[in-house]
Amino acid sequence: MLDSLKRFVRESWLLVVASVLCGLLLAATNAALGPRIEVNKALKLTSLAGGLLPAAQAFVPLSSPVEVKGLDGKTESAVVFKATTDDTVVGWVFKVVGSGFADKIELVVAVDASFSKLAGYDVVTSSETPGFGDQIKDAYYRNQFAGAPVGQFSLVGLGAANERDVDSTIVAISGATISSTAVVQAMNHYLPQLKDQLQQKGLIGHGSNP
Amino acid sequence: MAATPDGQNMYTEAVATGLWREIPVFRMLLGTCPTLAVTAAIKPALTMGLCVIFVLVCSNIMVSLMRKGLRPHVRILLFTLTIATFVTIADLFLRAYQPVMSEALGPYVPLIIVNCVIIWRAEARASNSGVLLSIVDGLAMGAGFTIALCVLATIREILGTGRLFEIQVLPKTFPAWAAMGMPVGAFLTFGFVLGFINYVSRKRS
Amino acid sequence: MDLLYILLTGFISVVLINNLVFTKFLGICPYIGVSGRIDMAFGMGLAVTFVMTLSGTLTWMIDHWLLMPLNLEVARYVAFIMVIAAAVQLVEMYLKKFFPPLYESFGIFLPLITTNCAILGLCLFLVVWGTSTLIEAAVLSFSGGIGFTIAICIMAGIRENMQMVDVPESLRGAPITLITAGLLALAFMGFAGII
Repeated sequence: MLDSLKRFVRESWLLVVASVLCGLLLAATNAALGPRIEVNKALKLTSLAGGLLPAAQAFVPLSSPVEVKGLDGKTESAVVFKATTDDTVVGWVFKVVGSGFADKIELVVAVDASFSKLAGYDVVTSSETPGFGDQIKDAYYRNQFAGAPVGQFSLVGLGAANERDVDSTIVAISGATISSTAVVQAMNHYLPQLKDQLQQKGLIGHGSNP
Repeated sequence: MAATPDGQNMYTEAVATGLWREIPVFRMLLGTCPTLAVTAAIKPALTMGLCVIFVLVCSNIMVSLMRKGLRPHVRILLFTLTIATFVTIADLFLRAYQPVMSEALGPYVPLIIVNCVIIWRAEARASNSGVLLSIVDGLAMGAGFTIALCVLATIREILGTGRLFEIQVLPKTFPAWAAMGMPVGAFLTFGFVLGFINYVSRKRS
Repeated sequence: MDLLYILLTGFISVVLINNLVFTKFLGICPYIGVSGRIDMAFGMGLAVTFVMTLSGTLTWMIDHWLLMPLNLEVARYVAFIMVIAAAVQLVEMYLKKFFPPLYESFGIFLPLITTNCAILGLCLFLVVWGTSTLIEAAVLSFSGGIGFTIAICIMAGIRENMQMVDVPESLRGAPITLITAGLLALAFMGFAGII
């Protein structure tokens, strides 16, 4: 009995010592870098949003959760930030998800304080085809949403409308119909829900809306 | 200075082996998964290379320090534990100080754990050599791996976007080969570069 | 029916659209090494499928029922690789004892698969994809293996035919396999967008 125990210890003492050492190393590194990583995660969305709402000085996450239905029908908690300058609300920022050609597309969308006009959107993550669907990151498509009224967007093909007109008609990217549709679909799906939720919370007024 | 039987310095031997004679990826065909995945542009390739150097050197040091106590049954387990720990540390550092690059590299940083280069060096060098030689070996092999990644990344980025490090290298009129950024380009570039290296090697001998 | 739809689309997605070999670059080492003959390729594919399904499910369980509730995500990678290594070892011993013919047919593949990046890669992708249910994790792991098997068998078929063709000498072996894989990856790109 003692013999087999001695043999066990002799075989595995290094493993135990190494495990303890590695565990300590991991715990120490995690403790040291953990806070910074958390800050980075929150910063990711707001740094993109800063480009959409340059007037905003701070982005404050909402204190109460906002529940919306995802594209698959499942209820999820929406990520919403209040953009403020000197404590006055200058806009709202949130994340929407669309299903693109290759994979999910995550967008950060900014609207004005009364939730009536879009300030624009930026792409957080997407795996669209470079040169084609990837153009949702470019000015041609993004500019069509900057200043557009919040409402149902309709997608038309190239030439059917003027893309410089800032309205609810969006001209698709030539050769990237599915990616273009994904952005429009995400907007159409999430914007009404978020507006409704914010109105219910009394954060924005029930303005005159058709 | 330590010397091999034929009189050559062991350290320069290690450097030559890592940087040319047994260069990972090209000569040894090890660590091919991250090679294809991160070489679409030069910045991810460099980041991955630096991570691998870090993990390789640290794990070599730790295995070399443990080499007297290694038992046949727990060897691989110990190597794996060490490598996994240092990869986690490297990943944490990346997420803290380079979040954009960390997102871009994604799950390929933890995949360094199963990168055969590191276990190979732990087995072939660190488990039977002193700490200093293990460090030199780790640096050399890591540098070789990084060079290999950068060669592929440079080709793919220049042909794929006409830019390198955000600097326009090719004239704007050159039609960028978007395929270079996609899996197709990865496999084809790697295949042709390997073929080229084979050709050069045969010409020499 | 909703669950079935999710599982089905997940299956097709991982097998065809996000094939682990052609889009995620996982399992390239065995892919190049073992795709010389169809019977070896098929055996390797089955072994990978088996280990992948087992490891994917196990690591998902450990991640969701142990690491996340206890806030131990920092130990994730260490836990994953240890679980994978242990699981493969146990499976090997079990097979050797109780199903010797099956063990013989798996041959040298089982120990080779442990450090195969495809297995750890899939477990990590399950985390990245935010897999939320056990059945989803199991189906996605299984489909990862099936995707690998399909990829390696196609490659084996092509390589068997290439033996009768005049390949330039510099390109023989790994280079031509990689170039073929590139063309296959191009072909598989055609599946994007079907769901």
